[in-house]
Amino acid sequence: MVTLRTKELRRIHLTLDGKPVLARSGQTILDVARENDVYIPTLCYSDKLRPLGTCRMCLVEIEGTAMPVTSCTTPVSEGMVVHTDTANLDNLRRENLKLILTRHPYNCPSCDINGACELQDLVYRYDISHQDMHAYQIKPADFGETPWATPLITYHPRRCILCGRCVSACTEIAEVGVLAYKGRGSDTIIASTEPNEFGRECISCGECLASCPVDALVEANGQPKGKAWETKKVKTICTYCGTGCELILNVSGNKVTHVSPSRGGVNQGALCAKGRFGYDFINHKDRLRSPMIRRDGYWEEVNWDVALDYVADKFAAIKQREGADALAGLSSARCTNEENYLFQKLFRGVLGTNNVDHCARL
Amino acid sequence: MTETILGIWDNQVICTPRPEDEASGITKLAELREYAPGNPVYAVMGWDGYFIYDQAHVDVVDMARAYMEVVQGESCGKCVPCRMGTRVAADLLTRIAEGRGAQEDLDSLRKVADVVSQGSLCELGHSALCAVIDLLNQHPDEFQRTVTEGIRHPRGTYHTKVTAPCVEACPERLDIPRYIEMIKAGHYPESLEVIEEKNPLAAVCGRVCVRFCEFACRRGKLDDPISIKHLKRFVSDVRLDAAVKIMPDKVHVVPDAPLVAVIGAGPAGVTAAYHLLRKGYPVEIFEASGAAGGMAVWGIPDYRLPRDVVRSEVEIITSMGAIIHYNQRLGRDFSIADLKARGFKAVFVAIGAQLGTGLRIPGEEPAPEGYLPGIEFLHKVNAGEAVKAGDSAVIVGGGNVAMDCCRSALRLGIRQVHLVYRRGREEMPADKLEVHDAEEEGIIFHMQCNPTRLITENGKLTGVECVRMILGEPDATGRRRPVPQEGSEFIIPCDMLFPAIGQRIDTSCLADDGASLDVTKHGTVAADDDTLLTSEEGVFAGGDCVSGPATLIQAMAAGLRASNSIDQYLKQGYVSLSDDERMSRVYRAVMAVDEDSVQRLGGAARKEVTLRPVKERVDDFDEVEQGLSPEDALLEADRCLRCYRILLVATDK
Ligand SMILES: Cc1cc2nc3c(=O)[nH]c(=O)nc-3n(C[C@H](O)[C@H](O)[C@H](O)COP(=O)(O)OP(=O)(O)OC[C@H]3O[C@@H](n4cnc5c(N)ncnc54)[C@H](O)[C@@H]3O)c2cc1C
Ligand code: SF4
Ligand code: SF4
Ligand code: SF4
Ligand code: SF4
Ligand code: FES
Repeated sequence: MVTLRTKELRRIHLTLDGKPVLARSGQTILDVARENDVYIPTLCYSDKLRPLGTCRMCLVEIEGTAMPVTSCTTPVSEGMVVHTDTANLDNLRRENLKLILTRHPYNCPSCDINGACELQDLVYRYDISHQDMHAYQIKPADFGETPWATPLITYHPRRCILCGRCVSACTEIAEVGVLAYKGRGSDTIIASTEPNEFGRECISCGECLASCPVDALVEANGQPKGKAWETKKVKTICTYCGTGCELILNVSGNKVTHVSPSRGGVNQGALCAKGRFGYDFINHKDRLRSPMIRRDGYWEEVNWDVALDYVADKFAAIKQREGADALAGLSSARCTNEENYLFQKLFRGVLGTNNVDHCARL
Repeated sequence: MTETILGIWDNQVICTPRPEDEASGITKLAELREYAPGNPVYAVMGWDGYFIYDQAHVDVVDMARAYMEVVQGESCGKCVPCRMGTRVAADLLTRIAEGRGAQEDLDSLRKVADVVSQGSLCELGHSALCAVIDLLNQHPDEFQRTVTEGIRHPRGTYHTKVTAPCVEACPERLDIPRYIEMIKAGHYPESLEVIEEKNPLAAVCGRVCVRFCEFACRRGKLDDPISIKHLKRFVSDVRLDAAVKIMPDKVHVVPDAPLVAVIGAGPAGVTAAYHLLRKGYPVEIFEASGAAGGMAVWGIPDYRLPRDVVRSEVEIITSMGAIIHYNQRLGRDFSIADLKARGFKAVFVAIGAQLGTGLRIPGEEPAPEGYLPGIEFLHKVNAGEAVKAGDSAVIVGGGNVAMDCCRSALRLGIRQVHLVYRRGREEMPADKLEVHDAEEEGIIFHMQCNPTRLITENGKLTGVECVRMILGEPDATGRRRPVPQEGSEFIIPCDMLFPAIGQRIDTSCLADDGASLDVTKHGTVAADDDTLLTSEEGVFAGGDCVSGPATLIQAMAAGLRASNSIDQYLKQGYVSLSDDERMSRVYRAVMAVDEDSVQRLGGAARKEVTLRPVKERVDDFDEVEQGLSPEDALLEADRCLRCYRILLVATDK
């Protein structure tokens, strides 16, 4: 008997803001709305993670259901009649945003993420100003020390909107799972759990930081300044190891301000600590910018022609005196495949030795 | 009697009961007069409204503030409306109650209530401000005067409890939504920790608990209840399956702590020992048989609950430092008076219900070959003793023990297994799933039949005569009793018969003891419902030996309660109800008027576990039910609505 695998993929008819639309089973209301260019505000949603349903911005109304539901977590079903834009929803979303702002500093100018912040976008969209916040004054919380799991990442509890994306990223993308909500009520923060018998430990990959919609998780070592709208985005391949992860360098002037995940590549956006945080060498003052030769115990900067002639002469002399196998080449993982190919070609074909190796990874 | 308004619940006005309300929920609620002896209840406030018992002693403004503070302290912090909305509401109410509020604050309160109740993620948030708004609507003058005249409200005395319907249904009151929450987060060890706060036998309960919680689960009103039992099994299996077994360390016994003895290492005894150890008492257990676990090892067969699972969980208490003396039977090897003489300051009797009940029909005495009380049959099977399998077996009864006998008999290779039960299928007390599985395995059911006579030949059983039953006149309880239909006798040929119609407690071991434990007219050990105190100073009793044959989790709850009672007894010399238990009473009174409806969108289907195919499983005693996969466990955990409910009681002290 042939099993009908298509059973899983049924067509579903629903009405979205009065318009009939076609959806596939398994899609959420939010998926369908986005496919049909219907705007629903979101804050905790990330298409890289299982829907969280925590921010409550994406509420929609379904006819026949007493309470609004979150569109990011609700699967579509046949005959559903969905309203995404009613006066009640608008009010709920505005009040909800205001509630987020009761514990969020109005401090956009000093945030690195300014201009690319999802909360800022929503506050702008819903036109919320200081006056609107008047009714909701609460006593300030004292979060005390809130160390994150790693020396590479700093956590700002006051900026955190507790969307939980970092918690999910740590579990679902990094598959580490050290983060958890800690505390109760308005004093809740995100914190790393105690190391336990199962040996969970933070690996400083920064997936949490990469998934944060606001500027609550930032690089602890500081990063060169550069606002979102000032930086050039350069898609490139990480040079640390042979995996070849794709990443985006954000470049302001001639400085890399930070690394952000790209959507594609073998890594589908995921990165390790080196690829994500290890870019400071690019602009480092100790970085070698031209070849050097040691003469009389002192390093001397030379141009490439001088340097290459110098090594070529030395190589030729050694080969003549001791034979080609007295030479060996060690190339770097930071070179591309093509460069490494040429490197071994040089040693095997030109110099005549099989003594070639590679440092494999950094 | 004039009708006065007691309060609001579910948007319904609740009045003091009239004579015709007798036996209704309202009466039960109205009877809730005292929180504790000498401490009257002034008001109750909860997730869906409030009741005022004594207007003169209740300050509604202060009560609203107090309630909101508890809610804010319980909000898990995940979703915005509840986390921040209840903070805003609590601060508004504080401002108002301190006489600093303004008219505008009352409006803001309503506004924020709207967002919190419509927008929150879970039921805690949905119900957070319901009662506050009810108070605002019913007592507008109090609030109005407070803001216009700037009245300051002193703080009253309140007792609070955070619970959930599933939690209250569980005899041990495990924090179910919390451990489900931990599974959602992928934090399995923490989830297990929540269970082990109360229950040391998580993997055992995760397999064979009768699931009171699931029957109370509110998700059941939407589609199907959460698979709580299997989620529990899931997290406990993570530890069982771990490559390196990590056992708890030996607990630090408090220096000079009095010695406590536990008699019987069944679920009740083991749980009591576990909690006593955690409280710092040195514990010694005296067990008649050669293994710990009680009916979990000697009754429940391996295909439902593998022996190793029980063993590894019982090891928890030995690794914590409990000493178990095996093959020590009360009444034969020692007496309670002996224990007292040996320096034990408190004793917990948990000897279970070990004796089978006979059918009281001709042919039973002397027992013919092939006849064995069901419970003894299972004991033999579980002890690995040879049971010569016949061709055909009859099991009498309709409970879980009967099901276990049937399915074990089948697994021993007995070709025909008959079940005889005097009522209808729907009335079988056995778990519906058990009945289903048994039928699937080919057990032959004879419903509405009763055995009347054993047929024997040369001392050997050859058959049983049964009679069909019909429903007779309703008895005192209103239930129609089955009566035999004359002339409908028929014979089932068989060479084995196991009655499984009940168990008795062997109270003979309590006789001739220097101590005198009273026995009830039902043949159970007499002990106080709440405190488990027996008629003998310092001796407590619980589990099946007090309740009669019941369930694991009830026995474990008795063990937990015994540990609390013993702790109180040893520390203060008397035993009283805990706050938690008193609040549970209030909860039950409130539930008498609660007509719950779940205003949510259902849909996600319950994740069922897989069973080994019938053909494969009927030949061995290997486990039938397989656990949930991590993916399914996550999806199942996601279905929980987190029906946390907050209950507040205003009292005098
Ligand atoms: C066949 C069967 C199947 C069951 N299935 C389920 C199920 O699926 N789910 C469920 O929840 N419940 C089930 N139960 C019920 C459950 O097992 C019992 O309710 C529970 O074990 C009672 O615990 P207890 O500690 O009170 O007594 P027991 O479990 O009976 O333990 C009593 C212990 O005391 C010892 N003892 C007895 N007399 C003495 C003495 N004189 N001196 C010293 N020690 C003594 C016994 O050896 C035993 O170890 C089942 C019971 C049976 C018999
Ligand atoms: S750095 Fe990686 S491992 Fe550490 S908390 Fe963040 S996501 Fe988890
Ligand atoms: S740190 Fe960022 S990602 Fe994590 S909960 Fe806070 S706002 Fe969300
Ligand atoms: S308890 Fe429920 S309603 Fe409250 S913050 Fe948590 S998820 Fe939201
Ligand atoms: S849905 Fe969850 S919290 Fe609610 S009753 Fe069921 S298990 Fe308990
Ligand atoms: S986007 Fe749906 S709840 Fe946050």
